[in-house]
Amino acid sequence: MNHRDTKRKGSGENREVGINRQERQETPGESKRSSNHGPAIRFAGVSFGYTEQRLFNEFSLDIAQGEFLGVIGPNGAGKSTLLNLAAGLLRPQSGSVSVLGMDLAGTSRREVARKVAVVPQESFFAFDYPVEDVVMMGRNPYLGRLQTPGRADYDRVNEALEFVDAAVLRHKSINRISAGEKQRVVLARALAQEPTILLLDEATSHLDLAHQRSILGILERLNRQGKTIVLLAHDLNLAALACSHVLLLSGGCQVACDVPDRVITKELVKSAYGVEPIVVRHPETGRPQIMMPGGPNAQVSITNDQ
Amino acid sequence: MRRGGAWVLLLGLLGVACLVSLAVGPGGLPSRDVLQFRLLRLALGILAGGALSLVGASLQGLLRNPLVDPFTLGVSSGAAFGASVVIALGAATSVVLPVAGFLGALVTILAVYTLARVKGRVTVTGLVLAGVIMSFLFSSLVMLVMVLARQPLGRAVYLLMGYLGVAFTRGSVLLFAGSSIVTLAGCGVLMAYARDLDIMSSSEATAQSLGVDTGRVTKVVFVVSSVIVGLVVSFTGAISFVGLVVPHLVRLTFGPAHRRILPGSFLLGAALLLLADTAARNLVPGGLPLSVVTALIGVPFFVYLLRRKL
Repeated sequence: MNHRDTKRKGSGENREVGINRQERQETPGESKRSSNHGPAIRFAGVSFGYTEQRLFNEFSLDIAQGEFLGVIGPNGAGKSTLLNLAAGLLRPQSGSVSVLGMDLAGTSRREVARKVAVVPQESFFAFDYPVEDVVMMGRNPYLGRLQTPGRADYDRVNEALEFVDAAVLRHKSINRISAGEKQRVVLARALAQEPTILLLDEATSHLDLAHQRSILGILERLNRQGKTIVLLAHDLNLAALACSHVLLLSGGCQVACDVPDRVITKELVKSAYGVEPIVVRHPETGRPQIMMPGGPNAQVSITNDQ
Repeated sequence: MRRGGAWVLLLGLLGVACLVSLAVGPGGLPSRDVLQFRLLRLALGILAGGALSLVGASLQGLLRNPLVDPFTLGVSSGAAFGASVVIALGAATSVVLPVAGFLGALVTILAVYTLARVKGRVTVTGLVLAGVIMSFLFSSLVMLVMVLARQPLGRAVYLLMGYLGVAFTRGSVLLFAGSSIVTLAGCGVLMAYARDLDIMSSSEATAQSLGVDTGRVTKVVFVVSSVIVGLVVSFTGAISFVGLVVPHLVRLTFGPAHRRILPGSFLLGAALLLLADTAARNLVPGGLPLSVVTALIGVPFFVYLLRRKL
């Protein structure tokens, strides 16, 4: 099943991802209903490129609320760019990106930060802030310039630290803890923002197995609480294991966007990555998992980066 | 609490430094005129030491670099250039000199800002590069002007190396009072941006995702810092090391949060500069340039800092 999503005719028609796709029929002109039921993130005809050459051309996508979406694709496919566009860190050259009904172009950073939190792959701290100070930075969208944090802010910080199991680290310096611990702290900072949507840029790539499993567990729990989660993953298996839907991106286009079973297939993975994997079933969850073909003579065709 | 005690110590140190600055000097008990002269010098020392250290701390946060000082962005060289021009023209009175210095600073701020602007955005890297370029340019121009005007280069040395012993006249005292008010107001503005500076010390993208308007913070902190430096330097010349070392000393005691290191740097910077100035005037007959003393203290401390980090 090879879906190649090109520009759709008609303004109201968008590829919608998520539960209840069949029940919710969008009609043109009704695309911005009450933000209670609208998509968490909507890309509408987005065109974007870092240079003259566009990476995304009239790209449209809806991510439903409560979704746990894994985004996979080869290098240069546009995964990080997509995330930065969704967070309002990049502005599209044409088209619009909206979050919970708000067009990002017309919304202040503070307002966006109250709804959307980003967890980057790696974090740099020029000075040795203690962990609880770092998590308190997540309260910034709620604090006025001259305002000091209050009881409620400290409570949110404590809750966030407890949730990621990092409360014991609170007085340690951020630059003196392990990479896995640091990533959990950064996740706690994102949670302190009380976001509705969490965007993670390969948040577990460089971590050991235990930390990967623990962070994935935290994300699954957050999703069950109703948060919308978009996780960029190099590791297809991680995405297939935890996510409810997977978006396969290649060259700025949606190759497929569906449940893991229908995306993690031999044919689709080969068309996007240039390598035909062996697809098996996870013995506990039944999710598709891939294995690399063996031997130095396995066929590989490197797809060109943008 | 350790921190509460540290603030008391800091205030105590400033108090001692003030007394020492007023009391120590050639001759016995100071007469009324001498006292007045020393009081003005005290005010200048507190303002210069305090403001330069606070600005140094702000810029280290903004530029995410602990090796930055208030002169990285070129403002002091521009001020020195403005001053050197009026000296060369023979028009350097006690009022004209600081005004010319400040105008030179303004020109530099404009030049650095324009150079650093790419597609309407000012980035931190752009500011540093533009600042370093302007710094080199104006420092060389100062030397050129002095040579062309056949002025003794010694005067340029005081512009470039700092001097608290300004000879105040009525006019320049008023000018100084006005500048002090503006400088203190600027310091207040920078302290209001303390949390933004904390958050921006991670990365531009992180700060934006946490709701910080990084473009605005960069512009405001840059302009306010540069104006403060321009005002101070137009009276005292470029006093080195205070703005670089004091923030680190404060960070060691109070931690990196800007809401503490900005005021802390002001207090410690003022105290240290007064003490350094007293030493500079009295250790050697004829006095030493202020920057020599601050460098003599600053360099060994910086070596110690470096070794600790490595």
